[in-house]
Amino acid sequence: MARKVGIVGAAVTPFKSKWYEKTYYELAQMATREALADAAITPEDVDAVIYGIYNDIFERTCIPEHPLQGITGLHNKPGLRVSNGGATGAYAISAAHAYIAAGRYDIALVLGVEKSTDCFDFTSKSSTPEVIKVIGWSGDSFFEQKIGWTASDSYAEVALAYMDEYPGDLKPEITAKISSLLSEQVKGNPVAQRANDQCTPEEVMNSRYIVYPFKELEICVYSEGAGAVILAEEKTARAIAKNTGVPPVWITGLGESNEHSFAGKNQNHWGRIYSHHMAAKRAYEMAGIKNPLKEIDVVELHDAFVHQLEISMAEMGFCPLGHADGLIEDGIMTPGGEVSVNPSGGLIYCGHAVGASNVMSAWACRNEINKKGHRRGLVHGTGSTICQYGVAMILEHD
Amino acid sequence: MQKEKVIPFNFIPDKGGRTLKLGGANYMLMNDAMYTFYERSMGDFSDFFLAIRDKKKILGCKCTKCGMVRVPPFVTHCPDCNFAPTTRVEVGQVGKLLSTPPITYFANALFLDKAPFGRGRAVLKGADTAMSVMLYTTTGILTPGIFNRGTEVKIIFKDERMGEICDIFAVPASELTRAQIAKNGLLESELNFAAPKEPKYGKPTKKDAADFKQTVKELQLLAKEMSASPRVRRAIEGWKRDVAVKCKAGEFAMLINDGDFKIEDKKLKSPDFVLACEDPRYLLDGLLYKGAITDSVITKKLWLSKNIEFNTIFKLDRLARFLAREKKEQAAK
Repeated sequence: MARKVGIVGAAVTPFKSKWYEKTYYELAQMATREALADAAITPEDVDAVIYGIYNDIFERTCIPEHPLQGITGLHNKPGLRVSNGGATGAYAISAAHAYIAAGRYDIALVLGVEKSTDCFDFTSKSSTPEVIKVIGWSGDSFFEQKIGWTASDSYAEVALAYMDEYPGDLKPEITAKISSLLSEQVKGNPVAQRANDQCTPEEVMNSRYIVYPFKELEICVYSEGAGAVILAEEKTARAIAKNTGVPPVWITGLGESNEHSFAGKNQNHWGRIYSHHMAAKRAYEMAGIKNPLKEIDVVELHDAFVHQLEISMAEMGFCPLGHADGLIEDGIMTPGGEVSVNPSGGLIYCGHAVGASNVMSAWACRNEINKKGHRRGLVHGTGSTICQYGVAMILEHD
Repeated sequence: MQKEKVIPFNFIPDKGGRTLKLGGANYMLMNDAMYTFYERSMGDFSDFFLAIRDKKKILGCKCTKCGMVRVPPFVTHCPDCNFAPTTRVEVGQVGKLLSTPPITYFANALFLDKAPFGRGRAVLKGADTAMSVMLYTTTGILTPGIFNRGTEVKIIFKDERMGEICDIFAVPASELTRAQIAKNGLLESELNFAAPKEPKYGKPTKKDAADFKQTVKELQLLAKEMSASPRVRRAIEGWKRDVAVKCKAGEFAMLINDGDFKIEDKKLKSPDFVLACEDPRYLLDGLLYKGAITDSVITKKLWLSKNIEFNTIFKLDRLARFLAREKKEQAAK
């Protein structure tokens, strides 16, 4: 019988467009120090660490986690690195959950970190084209990298295929409204990169195309930062909670799915994000959720792009496929609606420090549950080409 | 002529670095690179790439059990038929797009000179799966609407081929003659790509002239404000371009020089590139963050003499955005 696992501590460093003042060693230690302090425990109490680091090239070393073992005070403890594209953080939490649920460890640290914008294109004198290039090295190296594959254009392929299927959905005025709403929700997020960047729907619509159909203000921003969560089995979690006065938030459902990375017959479900559908289905089954719209109060969704946010919400059962615009038109995610989506501002406004992003989402979801009295939340992660990877995680109050 | 290198020389920075002062402390930034060279095995894909290079043919693999034809031929055994073996087959060079393709306007560092381009999934005649392929139009800048789901495309082979996937690209079949569509191994040199042609705007009226004068004045004031903002200056740090802006009622110079941004009422003898627009207000509105300059190029309100200067256009859009963000942040404080 699997053991119950809860989150008992969490911390996130500020997400910034560039941390000139800190290396990824220090960012990782900052998040660890603060998460351990949040749980009122010391490194000696931690049995193992799971690292979430997406891209070796960002950190400029091929085993980027190795220096962190000693730096975080966890020498001679087990350490495992997870690297699953954009979904790295969510998969890292999932791995830690599995170890604890199976009884291998009682307390584990999940540490996500990324320092991406040290990459610099000296021809255009800016970071972004080089960051996109480095992410571009993640694409298929025989058939796609050399024809300009990027994360953005691969997600755009899926969004456009969905729009071919449902031409009346994902209307530009709705995607603009969602981005604008997220920009309002980010206010007050102490770690957000764009906490003061409130945008009107008109500004979103007027922003430049990056990759058609995505506009600049509909895309997540590259960030540098770290996030850490402390997971513990039930008895330990309750003891920690007694000490800190903060109740554990239980992980009651987890689901993952990786689709095919090519398209066409018997391959990717073109126009759908089946990985998100399958991940959510598995997480709901584990948590006993029948109607997510009625049973989930808050979603921290990996919004790499607003269009994908809409499709992912539909795939996870919050609105019908073909009417994802109902998120706004039917008031599902507008203030006072049935579900709060990305109260943190999401990756578009809080920022996307890849390995740390889903950890930030878990931190934010836990805060929402503990501070606003929500019963249940969902943390979502997506990654790899054409939304290939999907993770869904249910967090729940006692 | 020197042979092309696997890393273009202009991408390589000088050894060294710089020191940045932040909050009273000094922080170092060092120029660096991770580089690894490969003599990469193309292995079981060799015949696919050799067929492109030497025979101008596209190969797929066909499952001996279910008959599914995959292009490119990325499996020797079918994963859907308990790994039944596949055999090589040749497929057609005309196909249909599986879905509406994205268009990349802001490309990664290696593709800045190739944007805008599309990348779509073409199901070639005789294939069941879709092959990723770069998409171009012969009619100028690629804009939404040229390629859609089901658009018929034709594979084009570059004249000089190395045996790589970028040796081929696709164009809409509707832009070709019947003979071109029917021909296998159609070469890039056999296409007629429209040459960039500077637009002509006719004779200006007195009102055009007065509006032009006023807009240039407003642009000059805005440029001054931008040059005074440290955040905006960062958007054009290290960038230098002399741009001739040609309008219906006159011409002026837009000068970008390592953080400085100036508009001067003069004609440039040898600009880095020409930006043409009937009404300079399109440019002013863009810089005032009232509509992207990038989008004005896409919708042909602005004309660029060199596609690679999309790079500069993005920086102009960033100037506008950075100034708007700076104002918002100041207001929030």
